[in-house]
Amino acid sequence: MGTINSAFSLISGALNADQSALSIVANNVANANTPGYTTEIPNWQENQPVTIGGVSYGAGVTETGPTSLRDRVLEERLDQQQQLASSSGARLTALNSVQALFVPDSGSTSATAGDIGNDITSFFSSFASLEADPTNSSLREEVLSSATTLAGDVSNAAASLNTQRSAVDQQASGVTSQVNALTGAIAQLNQQIQTTTPDGNAGTLEDQRQQDLSQLSQLIGINQVQTENNGLSVTTTSGQLLVSEGSNFQLTSGPIGGVTDFFVGTTNITSQLASGGGQLGGLLTARDQDIPSAVNALDQLAYNVSTQVNTLNNAGTDLNGVTGTAASPLNIFSQSAAVAGSAAAMSVVMTDPSQIAAAAAGQGTGDNSNTTAMANLAKQNIVGGQTPTDFYSSFVSTLGATVTGVEADNTAQNASVTQLQSQNNALSGVNLNDEAAAMSTLQTSYQAASQVFTMLNTIMESALNLGTETTVS
Amino acid sequence: MRMDPSYVSNLVGALDQSQANEQQLTAELSSGVAINSLSQNPVAAGENVLLLNQIQQDDSFTQSSSLVTGQLQVADSALGGVVAQLTQAISLATSADNGTMNSSDIKSIGSQISGILDEVESLANTSYQGQYIFAGGQTSTTPFTTSANGSPNVTTYNGDQDVNYLSTPNGQKIQLNVPGSQIFLGTGSNSVFAALNSLVADYSSGTVSTTQAVSDSHALNAALGFVSQQRVTIDNSITQLTAASDAVTSSQTQLTGAQTNLMQADVAQVSTQLSLSETQQTALEDVIAQLDQSSNSLFSKLQ
Repeated sequence: MGTINSAFSLISGALNADQSALSIVANNVANANTPGYTTEIPNWQENQPVTIGGVSYGAGVTETGPTSLRDRVLEERLDQQQQLASSSGARLTALNSVQALFVPDSGSTSATAGDIGNDITSFFSSFASLEADPTNSSLREEVLSSATTLAGDVSNAAASLNTQRSAVDQQASGVTSQVNALTGAIAQLNQQIQTTTPDGNAGTLEDQRQQDLSQLSQLIGINQVQTENNGLSVTTTSGQLLVSEGSNFQLTSGPIGGVTDFFVGTTNITSQLASGGGQLGGLLTARDQDIPSAVNALDQLAYNVSTQVNTLNNAGTDLNGVTGTAASPLNIFSQSAAVAGSAAAMSVVMTDPSQIAAAAAGQGTGDNSNTTAMANLAKQNIVGGQTPTDFYSSFVSTLGATVTGVEADNTAQNASVTQLQSQNNALSGVNLNDEAAAMSTLQTSYQAASQVFTMLNTIMESALNLGTETTVS
Repeated sequence: MRMDPSYVSNLVGALDQSQANEQQLTAELSSGVAINSLSQNPVAAGENVLLLNQIQQDDSFTQSSSLVTGQLQVADSALGGVVAQLTQAISLATSADNGTMNSSDIKSIGSQISGILDEVESLANTSYQGQYIFAGGQTSTTPFTTSANGSPNVTTYNGDQDVNYLSTPNGQKIQLNVPGSQIFLGTGSNSVFAALNSLVADYSSGTVSTTQAVSDSHALNAALGFVSQQRVTIDNSITQLTAASDAVTSSQTQLTGAQTNLMQADVAQVSTQLSLSETQQTALEDVIAQLDQSSNSLFSKLQ
């Protein structure tokens, strides 16, 4: 070798390599703002030198294709953090709607409508007022009207909570189809990647797969397992297989006990998903934990207040001298048989204020001792070992603290997602300065190669014309 | 420069957050209320429920106490009337017993005392807002009736021994009534009606058995002392009620102060936060504007 021809072939190889590298740079610059795009760098490889007669001649350069600058561990870490942040975000949204039902009263002595704390106080205070004049019909009316307000506000709050719960449930079941679309796409990408680039850089295909994984992470909690030939398996955080290389398993949902449950095949994975993370995890936590615990608190309040007040009212004598019996009870509130559901069902059944048993059994109608007993319920530990007001107070404190806790978690997790995203972008994002520098270098190198080509051309002319400069130009 | 595809969305997120913050602070300033949702301060929200509960209890006690004061004052003035009537009866009986009066004078004194008896009975049957106040728990039954066919006549009590109490917010119990039998039908020589009925019987014939009449007059004297004692119970209740009412009013003032402190926005603090938040927003907007001119990379230097 070592001929002019081989020099031509060397330099045209260099020009090709430069062009190919330039197109990689151009692609990087073009995709600088594409979400999920991973910056690519050209790979240069020196061709195997040729040895002729003991002398080694270089054989030029080849650009062997781009490599994406990615860190799989960092990407997976980002996905995991995204799952946590989406979970607490969805839960926080649900909790914010819950706490909106229990707005703190700003203060003035007039009771705000819908404030259960005030309703409880007004209700028991109306008995305290009745103590002063147990036969007074307007004070008796006051007892019934404050009871109606209390029952109305409690049942409204419970009804709103139930509505919120079914809204969250609906939202959760809507996630299923998005999950299936994404797992389907990931399975397909797996197939393509395994067929086309089983052992190399999958580039754009892998970018897409990564983008799908990141979207899937916003929906549910997942684990990723790298498999051979650049494949990938995806499971839920608890290990239920969703994507196995080229095939995916459908997430299905169906109603069980009034709420939506989730299945893969015949396995019910609802509780696993709830603790797994992602939007679905947050929604399920709100649906199965946060909202039911608020409803349960209201149920306890409603059940115990109704039961205690009804019991006492049945134990006394009303304005007509009547004492309640099992057959014809003097109930103020509707009596629920069980704690569950009693808040939503709370209502006032007494219509005649003279049926309030202000007097103790056997006493004259002017007696007020039963009224005193009912007013004193406000100071007795009748709801979950606390007074009704203390119970409500700790309920709102607990709810507020839960919201604050989730809010703090969410803020921290979002900050961490942002941080990981920046970290990932620092590696995989397109750096325009780098690209400009690379392009400048490539341009110079291309210009140099063309210059060599021109000179080789001149040399070739000389060779063909055997020194005479006229035949070939 | 390195392109971060999420730069702008991150910045816009931060901008949204700072705007939401500003809205929240503006709402606090305009409403004067610092806590609009439970999560802003869960402890204060819980405390607020308890404070409002106490304030409202105090408020309701103040109303009850004015209602009850009326009733106690009516009882007191009725007993005042009884004392005046009995004093008059005693002086009439004393003048009849001194032996200088003739039969028709004595008869007239007898009928005057009988009038006093009616008057005392009607005072003992005093009602307040349609309810008899000296009948114990039987407030719808006339507590005292006198049978007209005896000598002496007998006044009977139709009420019971029930006593009502009003509880103050701090648990003190104030007695609201004294059963009529305790006041007017005391045991032994303390019974007002027995003494009056005996005196009427003593003088009705016109001739006086001095020993009997003097002993009945003494009984009436004793009964008068007894009524005054019972009146003290009512007066004590009025005093207790006034004291409790004053205490409750002052506690209500304090609680309202505490509650306002808890829930009210600190204007100086909120204004400072608002100004900080505005600065932050301006800074963010500047950064976004800068990023817009993203031509400041090396590419702008290449020709």
